[in-house]
Amino acid sequence: MRSVFVRHRWEPYLWILPSILLMLVFVVFPIGIVFRLAFSRISRAGVVGEFIGLKNFQDAVSSTAFPQVMLNTAFWVVSVVGLSTLIGFTCAMVLNQPFRGRKIARSIMVFPWAASLVIQASVWNYIIKMEYGNLNNILLNLGFLQNAVNWRASYQIEFIWECAVGIIVTIPFVTFTVLSGLQSIDASYYEAATVDGAGFWNKLRHVTIPLVKPSLTVSTVLNIIYVFNSFPIIYTITKGAPANKTDTMVTYLYMLAFYDQRKGPATALSVIGFLILCVASGCYMLMTMRKEDSL
Amino acid sequence: MKTLSANPVPRRRILLLILSALLLTILLCSLTFLRFSSQLYVKRSPNTFVGDEKYKTVRQEVELQLEDFRTQGTDAVIEEQVIERVNSKNETTSLVIFTICAANSRSGWNLLSAGLPSSYLLALILVLSAAAWLLTLCSSFSGNRALGIASFAFSLAAFFLIPVIFNRLNLDLSRTAALAQSGGDTAALDRLRPALDRFLFGSTAGDQLDSMLSALKYNICAAPFLLLLPAFITVCASVLAACRPLKKTLLRVALYVSVILFSLFILYPFFVMFITAFRSNTETTDMYFLRILPSRWVFSNLGDILKRNVLRYLGNSLLISGGATIIALLCGIPAAYAMARMDFRGKKAYLGFVIMSQMFSPVVLLVGISRLMNTLHLNDTLMGLMFINAAFNQAFAIWLLRGTFVSISSEMEQAACIDGCSVLGAMLRILLPMAAPGIVTTLIFVFINAWNEYTVSTVLISTQTNKPITVGITQFSSFNMIEWQYLFAAALLATVPVIILFMLIEKHLAAGLTAGGVKG
Repeated sequence: MRSVFVRHRWEPYLWILPSILLMLVFVVFPIGIVFRLAFSRISRAGVVGEFIGLKNFQDAVSSTAFPQVMLNTAFWVVSVVGLSTLIGFTCAMVLNQPFRGRKIARSIMVFPWAASLVIQASVWNYIIKMEYGNLNNILLNLGFLQNAVNWRASYQIEFIWECAVGIIVTIPFVTFTVLSGLQSIDASYYEAATVDGAGFWNKLRHVTIPLVKPSLTVSTVLNIIYVFNSFPIIYTITKGAPANKTDTMVTYLYMLAFYDQRKGPATALSVIGFLILCVASGCYMLMTMRKEDSL
Repeated sequence: MKTLSANPVPRRRILLLILSALLLTILLCSLTFLRFSSQLYVKRSPNTFVGDEKYKTVRQEVELQLEDFRTQGTDAVIEEQVIERVNSKNETTSLVIFTICAANSRSGWNLLSAGLPSSYLLALILVLSAAAWLLTLCSSFSGNRALGIASFAFSLAAFFLIPVIFNRLNLDLSRTAALAQSGGDTAALDRLRPALDRFLFGSTAGDQLDSMLSALKYNICAAPFLLLLPAFITVCASVLAACRPLKKTLLRVALYVSVILFSLFILYPFFVMFITAFRSNTETTDMYFLRILPSRWVFSNLGDILKRNVLRYLGNSLLISGGATIIALLCGIPAAYAMARMDFRGKKAYLGFVIMSQMFSPVVLLVGISRLMNTLHLNDTLMGLMFINAAFNQAFAIWLLRGTFVSISSEMEQAACIDGCSVLGAMLRILLPMAAPGIVTTLIFVFINAWNEYTVSTVLISTQTNKPITVGITQFSSFNMIEWQYLFAAALLATVPVIILFMLIEKHLAAGLTAGGVKG
C-alpha cells in the first residue's frame, strides 16, 4: 500500500535517520569494539595489539572462577525469573479482583519497580546485617528472637539473599504486564465458563492461562534478559566476594575489566554473554514477528 | 429443622472437627510449654585445683546435697566452673564453683494456675475456643447463621491471640530476669514476683528468688504455637457451620489479609530507608540502643547531606535524565511515526533491530562503551551519559510510541494531508496532541530509567562533581565506614520523586509494553 504520507521514496528513511544514527553510534559501535577487542591482545594499560584468535576466550573459560560464575548465573536467572513470574502472576490475579483499596495496592506494587536498584540493594544490605541490621532489630524487639541471628553466615546464604532481592524487585514488572493481559480478557469468557460449571481451577487452566499467555511470554523473555544483565544487586551486596563465589557473569566481567584490568578475557566474556543474549532475543523476535504476521 | 434434615453430613463433620479440636487442645496444654534450669545450690571453693584433696571433699559434699534434692523429687545436675588467676606473687590460684541446677519443665496447665499475665491470656484463649465450640454446635443444630458468625469471630480471636501469648510469656521471663539481675526493684517486678515464684519454683524460693531469677536459663517450647492447629480446626468448623455466605466472607478476609501482608512486605525496605534516614549516627550501628522507630528524629541529616554535594548530584541526575529524555524523544518520535504510518523497504528489518537492541544491556558492552567515549572525548561528561541513556532507551521509546500511534486512526491526518497540510504539519497538529498520554508515558519511563542508571555512570564518571545521584550516594559507604543515615537520607531524596512519577504512568506503561509486543 502506498500511503498518502509517503511522497518520495526516500522520505521514510529520513524520518528514521536520527534514531538510526543514535543507535549506530552508541549501540552498534560498542558492539563492534567489543568484538574487535575480544580477538586482540590487550596490554594492561589498555593498548590494543595484534589479532590473537581465541586466546582471550581460552583465558576466560579456563580461569578457576569461571565454572562457579556460570553456575551462579544460571541459578540466578532461573530462580529469579521462575519465582518472580509465579509470584507476579498470583499478584496480578489478586489485583485483577475488584476490592476496596485496589488502587492503593497497585500504587504500592509500583515501589520496587520505580526505585533505583542500587538504593534497594543498599537497603537490603543494611537489613540483613547481623550486628545492627533491621531484620534482627525488629525480630528482637518483637520478642521472636533471643539473640541476634547471623543472616549471612555463608556465601551460599548471601547469594540466596541476593536472589531473593532480585525476585522482589522483579515481581512488579511481571505483575503489571500480566495484569494488562488479564484486563483485556472479555468477561463473557468467564460467564460462559461459569455456565458450563467450571470451578476456579478449571477457569484458570482453560480460560485465563491461554488468554494471558502472550503477555506472559513477552514478560518472561524480557525478564530473562533484564535479570541476566542485572548488575547493581550483586555488586552492592557482596561485590562477588569471597573470591568470585557469588559473582554472576556481568559482575565478574565488570570486576575483570575494571578492577583486575584484564580487558582481554573480559571482552571475551562480553562476547559470550552477548551471544547468549542474542539467542534469547532472537527467540523473542521470532515469536513477536510471527504474531505480527498472523495479525 | 430444614437444615437438619437437608444436610446431615456437614453436621457430623462439624461434630468430628470440634471433638478433635477439643482433644488436641487438651493434649497440647499438657505438653511442655517452658523448659528452664534454676540454681538450687552454689558452693564456692577457693584455692582448689581440679583433682586435689580439697576438690574431692567439696565435690563429695556437693554430691550429698544433690542426693538430697533427688530424694525430694527434683531432677538436678551438677555444673562446675573453674576460674584460674595468677596473683601478685606469680602463683596460680584456682577457684572452683559448684552449682546444682534443676532442669525443670512447665506445661500449659501449670501456666494456667500461676497467675502471670500470660496465664490470663491462655485462659482467655481457652474460654474463647470453648465458646466457639459451643456456638458452632448450637448453630449447626439450630441452623442459625448469627450464632455461626459469632462462633467464627470467637475462634478467629483465639487464633490471633496464640502468637501473643508466646510473645508475652517470653517478655515476662526475659524482663524479670533482666530486672532481677540489675537489682532493679520496680513495682512491675513486685507484682510479677509471687506469680513467677509460684510458676517456676512452686513458692519455695523465698528470699533467694532474685538470685535464682537472675541465673535463670530458659527455653520456650513450640507447644503454644502448636495450639494454632486446634484453633484453625475450630475456625474451619465454624465456617462450615455458617455455610456458604460465610465462606465467601472468609475468602474476602483472606484476600484482604494477604493483600495487606504483601503490601507491608513490599513497603518494608522503604520503611527501613525512611526511618534510618532520620536516626542519629550512633543509633544506626548499635543494636542495643536500637528501637524500631528512632528514639530521636534527626532531621538535620537532610541538611548535612546537602552540604556534601548531594544537591549537585541531584542536579546532575536531573540534567542527564532530562537530556536523555529529550534526545530519545527527538529521535524516537519521527522513527515511531514512520514505522506506524509509512510503508517502506527494510521496515521489518529495522523493527527487528529495534526489538533486538532492547536486549543489549550496557553492562555487557561496558568495555566498548568506555573506549568509544574516549575516542569521542565524551568520557567523564554529562553529555556522554545523556547519549548512552538515550540510545539504550531508544527501543522502548520507539516501541511505546509506535503502539500509541498505531492505536490512533490515521484518517484525520490523511484528510489534512489531502487538504494540503504537510506531513510534518499533520503530525504536529493532529497526531501528537492525540497521542499525548502515550508520549508522556514514554517520557517519564525514559526519564526514570536514566535517573536510576548506575553501571555506566560508575565506569564513565570519575570527577566528583559530575556524578549522578545513584553513584554519588556510594560516597557515604566507604570500605571501613558506612554512614547509613546519610546514605539513606540521600536515597530518600532520590527515590521519592521517581516513585511519584512512576505511579502516574503505571497504568499506561504496562499496557504499552505488552501491547507493543503482542499486537504490533
